[in-house]
Amino acid sequence: MSIPKLELVSLVKEYNDGAVVAVDGIDLSVAPGETIALLGPSGCGKSTTLNMVVGLEEPTSGDIHIDGLSIVNIPPGKRNVGLVFQDYAVFPSMTVRQNLAFGLVVRKKGREEIARAVDEVAELLGMVGRLDVRARDLGGSEMQRVAIGRTLVTKPAVLLLDEPLSNLEAAARLAMRRELRRLQSEIGLTIIYVTHDQIEALSLADRIAVMHAGKILQVEKTSLICERPDHVYVAGFLGSPPMNLLAGEIRPGVAGAAGPAFTHGPLTLALPAGCALEKGSYTLGLRPESLRLAPESEAPLAGTVSLVEFRGGDVVVTVDVASVKLDVILPATERPAMGQSVGVDFDPESLVFFGGDTSRRLDASPMGRPL
Amino acid sequence: MLSKKLTLFQAALLAAALAVVLFPVFWILMTAIKPPTDWNASPAIWMPSQPTLVNFKTLFDPDALKEYGVGGVSQSATKAVIGSLLASITATTLSVLIGLFAAIGISRYGAENKSTPLVILSGRMFPPAAIAVPFVIIFSNIGLTDSYVGLIAIYVAATLPFSTWMLKSFVDDLPREIEEAAMIDGKSRIKAHLTVTIPLIRGGLFATTMFIFILNWSEFMFALVLSYSNVSTIPVQLAKYVTATAGTLYGVQAALAVLAMVPLVIVGYLIQGHLARGMTFGAIKQ
Amino acid sequence: MASPPGPTHPADAPGLSPAAPHGGGKPPRAKGGNIGLALTLPGQIVSILVLVIPLLVALYMSFTDWSPTRGSLFDAEFVGFENYSELLIWDTRFLYAVLRTLCISAVCLALEFAFGLSLAVLFMRRFRGKSLLFSAFLTPMMILPVVVGYIFWMLFQSSGPVNQILEFVLGPDVALEWFRSAPLAVTAVIITEVWHWTPLFFLILLSGLNSVPENPVRAAVILGANPRQVFWRVVMPTLKPVIIVAFVIRTMEIIKLFDEVFMLTRGGPGSATETISLYIYKLAFNDFQLAYGAAAAFLVLLGALGLIHLLLLPVRNQLLEVKR
Repeated sequence: MSIPKLELVSLVKEYNDGAVVAVDGIDLSVAPGETIALLGPSGCGKSTTLNMVVGLEEPTSGDIHIDGLSIVNIPPGKRNVGLVFQDYAVFPSMTVRQNLAFGLVVRKKGREEIARAVDEVAELLGMVGRLDVRARDLGGSEMQRVAIGRTLVTKPAVLLLDEPLSNLEAAARLAMRRELRRLQSEIGLTIIYVTHDQIEALSLADRIAVMHAGKILQVEKTSLICERPDHVYVAGFLGSPPMNLLAGEIRPGVAGAAGPAFTHGPLTLALPAGCALEKGSYTLGLRPESLRLAPESEAPLAGTVSLVEFRGGDVVVTVDVASVKLDVILPATERPAMGQSVGVDFDPESLVFFGGDTSRRLDASPMGRPL
Repeated sequence: MLSKKLTLFQAALLAAALAVVLFPVFWILMTAIKPPTDWNASPAIWMPSQPTLVNFKTLFDPDALKEYGVGGVSQSATKAVIGSLLASITATTLSVLIGLFAAIGISRYGAENKSTPLVILSGRMFPPAAIAVPFVIIFSNIGLTDSYVGLIAIYVAATLPFSTWMLKSFVDDLPREIEEAAMIDGKSRIKAHLTVTIPLIRGGLFATTMFIFILNWSEFMFALVLSYSNVSTIPVQLAKYVTATAGTLYGVQAALAVLAMVPLVIVGYLIQGHLARGMTFGAIKQ
Repeated sequence: MASPPGPTHPADAPGLSPAAPHGGGKPPRAKGGNIGLALTLPGQIVSILVLVIPLLVALYMSFTDWSPTRGSLFDAEFVGFENYSELLIWDTRFLYAVLRTLCISAVCLALEFAFGLSLAVLFMRRFRGKSLLFSAFLTPMMILPVVVGYIFWMLFQSSGPVNQILEFVLGPDVALEWFRSAPLAVTAVIITEVWHWTPLFFLILLSGLNSVPENPVRAAVILGANPRQVFWRVVMPTLKPVIIVAFVIRTMEIIKLFDEVFMLTRGGPGSATETISLYIYKLAFNDFQLAYGAAAAFLVLLGALGLIHLLLLPVRNQLLEVKR
């Protein structure tokens, strides 16, 4: 079976005759065999999107294609799209076997075919010894496996996972995350994965689509999205801690600077030569990873350390620069003391500017490359 | 379940069911306002030729009842109505009060007697005619035969399981922490229950009171076998009419039936959200 | 009391509610033991005085040959199990009353369940005026049994509206004498009882349906189940405990069926509609065979307890589970 491709085309979902817009014109193309994460806070429309793809809700407008064919008029059970619920939604009074077989039994498949498919999936999920246990007696991660297996038995073209790990305890979550990665590589399904947890998204997805207020703000490869946020919201949402964002203005020749400078309240930063940005309002982004401490005299910014947080592999240091708090990630070997006066330095190339009105990232250099 | 709209066929089914449910109610209401000439018409008249309230008057007028020339029903319904009110209201108050204590005791202090359920169950399932017999014997020995005190005592005992378990389910719904906060304030436990628990379940208290009232007001068998001349209730009076007149006093009987059911139906609508809880001893909450 | 549906097993019942009771966890027995005892004491006293003692008197009586004409109960002769053996071996009227009650109960409960479930399923759909209609459908169970009996007694008169409607539909020759023919009288009793108590099944099943979790239903739809499969395979198993509760409660009451039959037929024609309760009533208050009646009542109690136990057996585990 060739792996299909899923496309969402200007998908819109409104409630109460347009008074509430849950999903506001989404375009998304999921490549065959790709795992894409819909990442966003609760209420951003990601679950509504899943419900439309699976057929539980009808889009107000827009279309959904699987391999180029529209599926919006196909009833949920026939779309060949599987959904795994956050609370698993196993059938509690049925055994694991009956749960797994459900999708085939209701399609009136032959007994042998069902038995074979159930065994195969049980094998894949490591549930062979638990087939005759009642689903209500299972633990959380076992229910999760049943919920996934029950869907896999029907051989869906696209698998949708709604917050699949959020109901699990921390240890089980880690194990299940590995399990999902293994399944992903073994079955090679096209997967859409909804989560509010960026670690989950980063560890499981090939690409991440960040959603906010019914819109997709950015779709980017998992390996790049933290470094190249396209939108102020994405920049402030991703990363731990997220990018330092300073809303301010670019003005020519402030405070004796030769060229244009960026000001944010009391803080002024001279821009490197060749900056192509006009004067106006902008948001400046500084990744905590690209900041480093330096002697006060040599650094463009100076302040005092107000918080030091050890995280094992590294240290997050908060530096108060005037009234602005900047998060800096340092290697664990550097341990500045609280209250210490430090300078903050960075590579000019790592500065990111977002338009003050568009919130979109701007290419600040004439060559079309970020500064 | 995924909520869909009603199809035309289903709407028709619903309408038919509604007709079946409401027709008997319609019939008793219409009969109650039929003038005497309509009572025995054959075939039966559906709508009264001249709606009248005379039947309700006759009910409370012994002389008017005698005029219909049927023996044994000269007694007006006044005593039955007063008797029903007296027995139901007193028994309901006592049952709810005792039940409220027990409910708090069971819910908050685990004071649940292991044998209680079996006793209650046996008491409820024992055919009432047979349990009435020992009452007849005991009451005649202590002078409670044909007295409201005896009837009320039975009513309280019979409804106590309902009031206790229904109220317990309401107390259970109330987070313990609320009372504990009041206890930390230095109030004694009992005072905390009086000032915190009971005011907070007043909705449930009302529903329970109404529910117990419905049970007491409806009771028939005990009143039938334990009443002679002093005690009477509406259900007993209604049965007496049927016996004495072979039911030919249609309009007057219907008037009494309407008097008996209207308060219950109103009370029932008021607490309809709690009926399932009451009927199932708090097992099903809506 | 004969009229309203009675209790389910109170020990099982409270755990059933879908939302776990907040305060019902572990009561601090050690701390407030005395207060708890004091609070339940009035109830215990009333139960002992007005339930336990009469039951014990009745039990004693059932082993004697007492009757009010023979003086004090304590002078009556002790006859051992004579009343019981008489009832079980020789009393065909008792046997028939038991069988009749069981048959009427079975038919009534089956119909009440079927109608109640159908109505409840219709009420899961969207339509306008639902809350008004909901109240309307509950009306019968709010009416007192004696009045229900009286209403249907009027409806089933030979010149009454039921016959009028039947004649309109089936032709003028169908003048049925509802209370003069045994099968028709039984039918009338069943119709009355079903009309009166279908609302209870409707009410309980609707609240059960409303608390069926949505996601398994959605999951079943996505897995390809059609509406019928969703209902029978996913919804109904979830409803099982609720259904059992409804049946237990109704069984306990219908076994004692008295008020409506008393008003409708007095057990007639002959003894065609004589239920257990009616038979015991006649034994005690028409024939003054009080001791014999008490023995009959204890046999009924034993049988009913057994029946309820059987009903509860299949869901015992489930009930315990929800309780946890």
